[in-house]
Order: sequence, then structure tokens, then C-alpha cells
Amino acid sequence: MNTLITISWRNIWRHPARSGVMLAAVTIGLWAALLIVAWANGLLQQRMDYMIEREVTHAQVHHPEFLADIFPWHYIPEHDDLSAWLEDHPDVVSHTSRTITEGMLQSPVKTSGVRIRGIDTESETRTTRFHENMVEGEYLDTDMRNAVIISRIMADEHNMRIGNRIVLTFEDMDGELTSGSYFISGFFESASSEFDRRNIFVRSSDLLDLLADYPVYHEIGIMLEDVDLAEAVVSSLNERFEGIHAQTWRELSPELGMIVTLGDVMVVLLTLIFMIALGFGILNTMLMALFERMREIGMLLSIGMSKVRVFGMIMLESTMLTMSGALAGIFLAWLSIMRLGETGISLEMFAEGAAMIGFDYVIYPFMTTGNYITILIIVIVITMLASFYPAVKATHVNPLEAAKDS
Amino acid sequence: MPKPHRQFRTGTRNQKLLTDNTQIPNVMALVKTEKLSKVYNPDTVPVHALRDVSITIEPGEFTSIVGPSGSGKTTLLNMIGGLDKPSSGKVFVNGTDLTGMKDSKLIDFRLRNIGFVFQHYNLIPVFTARENVSFIMLLQKRDKKEMLQRADELLEKVGLGERKDARPKEMSGGQQQRVAVARALASQPKFILADEPTANLDTTAAMNLLDIMSRMNKEQDVTFVFSTHDQRVIDRARRVISMVDGAVDSDERRDGTNGNDANSSNDNKNGNVNGNGQ
Repeated sequence: MNTLITISWRNIWRHPARSGVMLAAVTIGLWAALLIVAWANGLLQQRMDYMIEREVTHAQVHHPEFLADIFPWHYIPEHDDLSAWLEDHPDVVSHTSRTITEGMLQSPVKTSGVRIRGIDTESETRTTRFHENMVEGEYLDTDMRNAVIISRIMADEHNMRIGNRIVLTFEDMDGELTSGSYFISGFFESASSEFDRRNIFVRSSDLLDLLADYPVYHEIGIMLEDVDLAEAVVSSLNERFEGIHAQTWRELSPELGMIVTLGDVMVVLLTLIFMIALGFGILNTMLMALFERMREIGMLLSIGMSKVRVFGMIMLESTMLTMSGALAGIFLAWLSIMRLGETGISLEMFAEGAAMIGFDYVIYPFMTTGNYITILIIVIVITMLASFYPAVKATHVNPLEAAKDS
Repeated sequence: MPKPHRQFRTGTRNQKLLTDNTQIPNVMALVKTEKLSKVYNPDTVPVHALRDVSITIEPGEFTSIVGPSGSGKTTLLNMIGGLDKPSSGKVFVNGTDLTGMKDSKLIDFRLRNIGFVFQHYNLIPVFTARENVSFIMLLQKRDKKEMLQRADELLEKVGLGERKDARPKEMSGGQQQRVAVARALASQPKFILADEPTANLDTTAAMNLLDIMSRMNKEQDVTFVFSTHDQRVIDRARRVISMVDGAVDSDERRDGTNGNDANSSNDNKNGNVNGNGQ
């Protein structure tokens, strides 16, 4: 085996330029492919984190009918007990309760349908990072009376400035329409322009003044120690409390679950596409090497080298050639990803477009160990497949090739 | 001391081979062909490369198979070496019939019984002279220390003791061919087949090579069979089998006896040309 490895390794370097080009192709190609995969991972992860940390949270509790019909009377029963249970739960990092209703926003310019989100600034800040979306003015922890924050997009559409007054009209707990004046304290900008056009934020206490005679909460957002604990906590909540519907982030936002799956599929797909293309390169290189060495292989078979060994020699050659390049490419990619994972890749020129579809323009690429293992397996399998034909062909070389005159 | 060849050691392998599909027409003959014929393109434009060739080669011979281009000498050599299969007839090496043998068995048989020297040397270019010589012993799974020792000894014998670490491209054609001879000897074969071994060598290198092979033949009783049209080789041969149009034209021994002249050809066709110095 050692001799086979030696002969194969030396055979690779018989044509340093050709093998060098092949090595460079594998190294640079795999490096680039991994960077793209890592960038895509970062993009998807960022989207997921963004949505979870700023909006969805790891788990949410609602009235069972609330999400289908957003009416004030679909509030969470036994809210205080539930809140206390969450407070004591070891896996729960923080939670926040929200009062939510649908309503109309009226400005001097026009009227828009909006979802009014009443939040508790203190617990909301502990639970989500929504406050980091503020781009101008003050968050709801301002002293301003009946403060409201709207998105910059909506502000532009309604031609509103900070301090301007808007009127919110919505149904109260009795089904009666009620209106209140609110003053714009600041503008936010989330990753999704769609979200920005649909949502405004007020203090829950200010909203409750008009909505109900007693505190009602329609949503509890929960952040856990680990995203993977969501299933267990949700299950406990649904078992323990009646009249509520707790859901994991994956249930609440199936598209986020898709993102995780998409990330895994993308790793496999991108690597497969790249490696299949590269596989033809390997096939071509090995066939060229084989055709150039027909006489030599004929000689090896003549003097008594078994076909199994000839097969092994060709397989080893291509495997060593590809794996050398692949390992170099993976190492380079690992270094690059480590570095870029800290600094991020800024695509500022696409910031506006990225925001339209809910993405940030600074991406922090990353790869999991699983990703690397998957990629290595794909590289090995494709290399084996690409080498198989030349290796089999080598075993069919006629020993008489050794005696040919030219 | 080098370990004895596996086949010499036990004979089990041979016995197995023999039981498969062999007869032993003459246990003394090292090589025996019986009405060996080879026809290329039998269904389209038949080319008769060999016609009922029957020869016998005994241990210790230094034989040249000569003839013009297309006379069938290389084809005959390939048949004897188990590199090619006849259309009809049989080839026996040391009593073993090669004609019905499977490829994998043939490869192993060649490894343990036949040494090859090719016109184009055919050394492994990425190996040194020493590695080239020891490689065949490695295929025979010999002990590594013994293998390297024997490789060094053989390279000394062919006058390349100082060049054992040189790679083929760093050696002259004559030196490469001497390495090829050392490689052929390394496996301790029953005989060595050399196909036009001097064709690419200048006179000095050719004579040097022939000296070495002749010495091996005389001192160590190594059997050599050449195919050649090089007069330098023919002059040194102790037996010359001449071929014309795929058949043996004459079989001459230089020790004063006549293996068979021509036809001889009839005898030939009847399998009586055995080079025993009748």
C-alpha cells in the first residue's frame, strides 16, 4: 500500500504544471464555493436571528383563535398565572406581553390599515431587540404622552415628522369603535418593508386605556436559553394552561423553518454542482494521464501487477490529487470564513433592495462542522465516481501496449 | 540470502494451475508451443501472424527469434510470455498450459515465472533504478530488507551500483535497459523474454548489455529468449530460430548442432522442433 501511495503521489507530480492547474482549480473552486455557502448560511441565519430576536421570539402564546381573527376579545386567559410560570421556568430567559389590535391610522394625508402593537418597553427590551430598529427620535420609553413609533416608510407615505399627531381608530373590547390621538416619538426601520408598512407600536398601557377596562394581553413573546428548547417549553405550556395556544418559532413562522432546511439543502446543492463540474475536470485529467501512460500500465500488467493494484493506483492518484486541493481549499475557506465571520461582508450598495426583502446588508458568513463534513463527503464521493471510469479503463489496458513500437 | 521463490518453495500453486487445464507433454521443457497459430481479424481480413509454430526451449538457452518485420517473432514472444492468446495451439511454460488461463492467473503467473525486457525499457519514470528493480519483488510480497539488498546486488551486477538512486530520465538508454534487465532478474523468473532489447541502443551500449545478459546466462544459467533483427544480438545467440510469414523457417544451434532447419517446417508443424540439438 505504501508503494502504491508513493507511486501514485509521484505520478501526480510527473506533470507539475498540469497537476498544479488541477490542484489550483480544486483549491480555488472549493474555496469560492464554501465562501458562497458560508455567505448564504450567514444570510439565512441572519434572517432567522433577526426575525426571532426582533419579532417572532422562540415561542409565543396566544388565544387559540387570535391569529385567525385578531379581535381584542381573543386575549390570553390566566395571563398572570402564565406569566408567573414563565418567570419561574429555568429555560426561559425573558418574556414580554403585548396587547395587539387591528385599526386605522389617520393622518392629514391619508388613512392606512395598521396592526397596533401595545408593548411594555421594559420587558420588551429585555426580550427582543426591536428597540435597535429605531432610526430617528425616541423609543417608547420617552416621557411623551400617548407616544407612537411608526416606520420611516410609513412616515414618508403620510408625510409625518416626529412630534406630529395621528389618530388611531379601533374596536374596543365591547366591539365599539374608539379613537385616540397619539404623538410620533420616533421612526423605526425593520428588515422588512412589508412589516414596516403594517405595524406601529404604542405603550400597552396607553392602548389599554382605550381598549379595555382591565389589562388584556394577546401575545406573550418568550426567549429561551436555547432555540432547541422551544418544543419542550411550548409543549409544557399547552399541557399546563387551558384556553391558550403556545407555538414554537417554527410553527409561528414556517418560512423560518424553511430557511433552516434551505440552508442545509443549499450546502449540499452548491457543493454538488461545483463538485460535479470539477468531477469532469478530474475525469479529463485522469483520462489524459491514462492515455499518456498506456505503455507503462501495459508494462505493469506484463510484469505482474494485478488489475486490483492498477485500479487502486489510479484511484489513489485522483483521490490524492483532488483531496490535496480540497483540503487546501477547505483550509483557506475556513480561514476566510473565520475572518469574515468577525468583520462581516458588507453589501451596502444593495442595502435598500435587501431591506425590501427583509435582509440586512452586512452578512456574517459561517459554516458548521456538519457543513464541513457534508462537503468532505461530497468531495470524496464525487472524486471516487470521477476516478472510477479511468481506473476501470486502466485495468483493461492490454499488456501488449508495453511492447508496442510507438 | 534471498528468500526462495514461492513457487520453488512449495509447488502448491503450480499444482493447482496444473490441475485446472493442463497437460504435461514434456516435463523437461521450459517452454513448449504446440501448433501455435494466431489469426488477427479472422472474420474480416484474416492476417496469419503465426502458423502452427511448435518449438521447445530448454532451461539455460540463449535464443534469438529472428525474422523480418511481420514475420511473427514478436507475436511468438508475446504468446510465450502469456501476454497474448493464440487462436489455436498451446503454450506450456514449465509444464503449465497458459492458453486457457484466466487473465488474473496469467498476471500472477508472469509475476512468478517470466521476466520481461522491452525495447523501450519501460521503467517506471517516477521511481529510481533501485525502486524500479525492487518494485517487482514488492509485487511478489518479498521481505523489504531482502528486496532492497537484492536490488542493490542486481544493480551492481549490471554495472549500475553507483546509479541506483538515479531516475530513468537521468540515465542513458543503455543504462535504462540494464536496469530493465536487473528488474527482469529480480523476480527470479524461469526465463527472460527480451523484445528487441538493443533496438534503441548504440553499439557500445548494445554490446555492454549483451555482455551482461550473456554473462548471466553462462554464470547463472538464466534463460534468455530474444526477438530481434539486430545482427549484434544474433551473433551472440547460441540458438537462432528464424521466422518467415508466421512460421519457423530454420532453427540453428551455434554449438554445432542444428535445432532444425526449415522444415524442419513439416517437423515444425508436427511439433518436433524442440531445439534439443537433434
